Amino acid sequence: MDADAVRRYGVRILTAAAFTAGILALLLLARSVENSAQFSRWQPWILLVNILGAIALMMLLARKFWQLYRDYRDHVPGSRLAMRTVLMFGALVIAPLVIVYLFSLDFINRGIDSWFRVEIKQGLNDAVVLSRSALDLRLREQARRTEIFARALRDLQGTELLQRLDEERRATEARQITVYDAYGRASAVSSATPLLQQPAPSPPEVRLQLSAGRSYVSLNSLANGQYSIETAAPIADSVAARAGRRYVLIHYEVPQELSALAEGVQRTSSQYGDLSAVREPLKISFRLTLTLVVLLTLLAAIYGAIYSAQRLTRPVQDLIAGTRAVGKGELGTRLPLSSRDEMGLLVHSFNDMTKRLRRASEEAMRSRQAVERERERLAIILSRLSTGVIVTDRELTLHVANQSAGNILGGSFDAAVGQHLTQLPRGSARFATFIAELRSRLSSGRDEWREQLTLPGEAGERVLLWACTRLPDESEQGRVVIVFDDITALLAAQRDAAWGEVARRLAHEIKNPLTPIQLSAERLRRKLLGGMNAEDAQLLERATHTIVAQVDAMKQMVNAFSEYARAPDMKLQHFNLNQLVTEVAELYRLQDPSTEIRLDLDAALPEIEADRGRVRQILANLITNGIEALAGVAGGCVEISTLQQRAEGAASAVICVRDNGPGFRKEMLGRLFDPYVSGKPRGTGLGLAIVKRIVEEHGGRVEAENRPEGGASILVFLPVSDQDRSLLAGGERRMEMRRERA
Amino acid sequence: MQTFSRIGVAAVLLSALAGLTAPRGVRSAGSLDGDFQVRSAFVVVDHGVLQLSAHVDYPINDRIRGALRDGVTLAFDLDVTISRHRHLWVDATVLEMTLRRELTLHAVTGRYVLRDEAGVEQESFPTLEAALDTLGRIEDLPILVESQLRGEAPWQIAVRAGVRRGRMPDALRALVFWTDDWHRTTDWYTWMLTL
Repeated sequence: MDADAVRRYGVRILTAAAFTAGILALLLLARSVENSAQFSRWQPWILLVNILGAIALMMLLARKFWQLYRDYRDHVPGSRLAMRTVLMFGALVIAPLVIVYLFSLDFINRGIDSWFRVEIKQGLNDAVVLSRSALDLRLREQARRTEIFARALRDLQGTELLQRLDEERRATEARQITVYDAYGRASAVSSATPLLQQPAPSPPEVRLQLSAGRSYVSLNSLANGQYSIETAAPIADSVAARAGRRYVLIHYEVPQELSALAEGVQRTSSQYGDLSAVREPLKISFRLTLTLVVLLTLLAAIYGAIYSAQRLTRPVQDLIAGTRAVGKGELGTRLPLSSRDEMGLLVHSFNDMTKRLRRASEEAMRSRQAVERERERLAIILSRLSTGVIVTDRELTLHVANQSAGNILGGSFDAAVGQHLTQLPRGSARFATFIAELRSRLSSGRDEWREQLTLPGEAGERVLLWACTRLPDESEQGRVVIVFDDITALLAAQRDAAWGEVARRLAHEIKNPLTPIQLSAERLRRKLLGGMNAEDAQLLERATHTIVAQVDAMKQMVNAFSEYARAPDMKLQHFNLNQLVTEVAELYRLQDPSTEIRLDLDAALPEIEADRGRVRQILANLITNGIEALAGVAGGCVEISTLQQRAEGAASAVICVRDNGPGFRKEMLGRLFDPYVSGKPRGTGLGLAIVKRIVEEHGGRVEAENRPEGGASILVFLPVSDQDRSLLAGGERRMEMRRERA
Repeated sequence: MQTFSRIGVAAVLLSALAGLTAPRGVRSAGSLDGDFQVRSAFVVVDHGVLQLSAHVDYPINDRIRGALRDGVTLAFDLDVTISRHRHLWVDATVLEMTLRRELTLHAVTGRYVLRDEAGVEQESFPTLEAALDTLGRIEDLPILVESQLRGEAPWQIAVRAGVRRGRMPDALRALVFWTDDWHRTTDWYTWMLTL
């Protein structure tokens, strides 16, 4: 059980105790009032129950006050409003209670004092004195009459005495006349009512009084409210010395009217005395009771004020908490609808507002998600795009760049977003030139162009087709998107296609007339040579020889072009590339021992699937080129190496032919594989073109560059298997398609 | 002003608390002071009726005399209980009775009047001593018929005398219980009854 549960149980127990104590106190009070004899028994319990109830109420109140103070101290929302409400309610409750309390105290004092005014007491005393005076007069009269009567009874005995008593009783309307002997025994009685028993002995005080020589007179009140007068007087018998004195006791009845008046005075005086005795205790008790009632009322009222204030401020606190929750983004916040008043309407409005906010937020979230999806899609497209895409502003701050942009420019844009393009590390000359051109155009105010851009590079010039346009979105104001593509290969392909057409036309248009020309020249020589003189024969011989020689030369040239333009007709087979390299190299070692040919072959290179004869032609052309480039170079060396490379899931066999000659001329680097491009005086310019054609027929590629330490380097990438060829071809086709789209 | 109001409220609360937790009233010392005890008591069975005889000393002092002179009525109670002990349970009450008499000084006659609670029987005395002497001598008071003694012997008889200021309306008595010091009882005088 946690602390909150214990606290809740404690509060419930205290509340139940206070309630039970109140009920119990009422029950005990009611029971004690019904039976005053039980009051003293219940009194301590009533006191205890009241104390317990008050303590429970005080504890509840203290707890409430502590809660209020803690909330106020901790700046709990709504605590100040609750505190103000409690103070206001408390003031509204305390002020009238205190006024009523003070007024009641004064009223109690004055009221109770007025009950016991001096005039009333004096009046009662006067009434008592008056009653006594009235009765004293009768007492004295009856006493005197009794004394006279006692003297008349001197020496009377027996019947004479009884007769005298009866006469006196009738004459005085006495209730009873009794004659006692000296021992207090009744010797003669005359009674107005029949005697049912022996007369009671005379009271001791009568004998005591008479023995002192004084007459006795007494006024008595009876239980029925009547008054009686008892008078006694000694009888002066002559034989008294022997038998002791007799005395007569006479009971007179006070007249009923006088008795009633005297009893009324007595009763009133007694009641006044009883009340007067509790005057001060009553005042104190009234004050204490009033104080207790006021205190309990005050505590209960303050508790009620706190409870009401908390109930009033709870919806406000809920609203504040809800508003803060909404402020933190918890739009699903809903407040409990605790009432149907204006506060309930406010809570309902709040809930409606949060509902609308949540819907709007969900809509915005969906829109953001859609935008994000579009962004991701665009990012995927950009990353897969072979075309370079860069978004920058006029200050050349990079905002977007895809991977192809880095690949094409020979640099990297990773983690470069947000940086200034001019501050990026310049990985290559192409990158620097590109940035410089871009900066030049943007600084001149241009933001729309579509042009070709030639960039320098170590492996030759690269031709880009780049376009720039301003982004139309207002938020992207000042930003431009630059789209560029490397069309070097495309241009080369176009040139290849053009040269292929030239070769095909040459083969078709020139080769066909060459044979008749050659045959005709030989026929002329055979026919005419025998009938000519020596000088003419010599002339004819030289002429026809020249014709035939030139026609042969042209045939060779046409054959070369025919070879270049020949449609691919490959015979694929599996063979060991290293073995082929070794064979071709050995052949050239034999032909030209002056040039060193080194081999660095990868023993792990698998057999490749290719046209063995054409690969041999590739090797022959490359080695020939290398050897020719080393003409006149001391210590010339051609180095041939093989290795395996895997890219885009396809395995390639790489043939690298390097030499330590003068290398390619810089202006030739971009057109090395074009026909009729040759750095040698006697070259046809078709060697590398044919190499490139054969390599591309195998689905590979060829690269040429100058070595930093001097010399040229040509790399041939051939797919290992037909499957690899398909993969590379697919990738190539995709690249072609992207280029076309770009 | 606000501070004064707070002090006033605090004073009211404190005084109320003090009044609530104070001992039973502010006893003015000696209202019923004096020798007050059940000196002796016994029960005899006469013709199947249990008759109680007891001797009680009641206090006499000037405050009592003065109160009587001022017209105050004093009530004298004699509580008698007969109970039977029970194991592992509260004792069974066989009898619970109170003999209540009132004493007052008759303002007109000047005599001390002793009467029963119902006012049926009344007796007057010239002196307070005589009245208290009569009050303190209870003789042959029938309290129970023998056949009403349930259960097995022994039974415990307890006698206690009490004095309080009488003739007060119950509503007032409920109010003055805070401060009423005119209430005193003796210790229980107990003995075992075996028939």
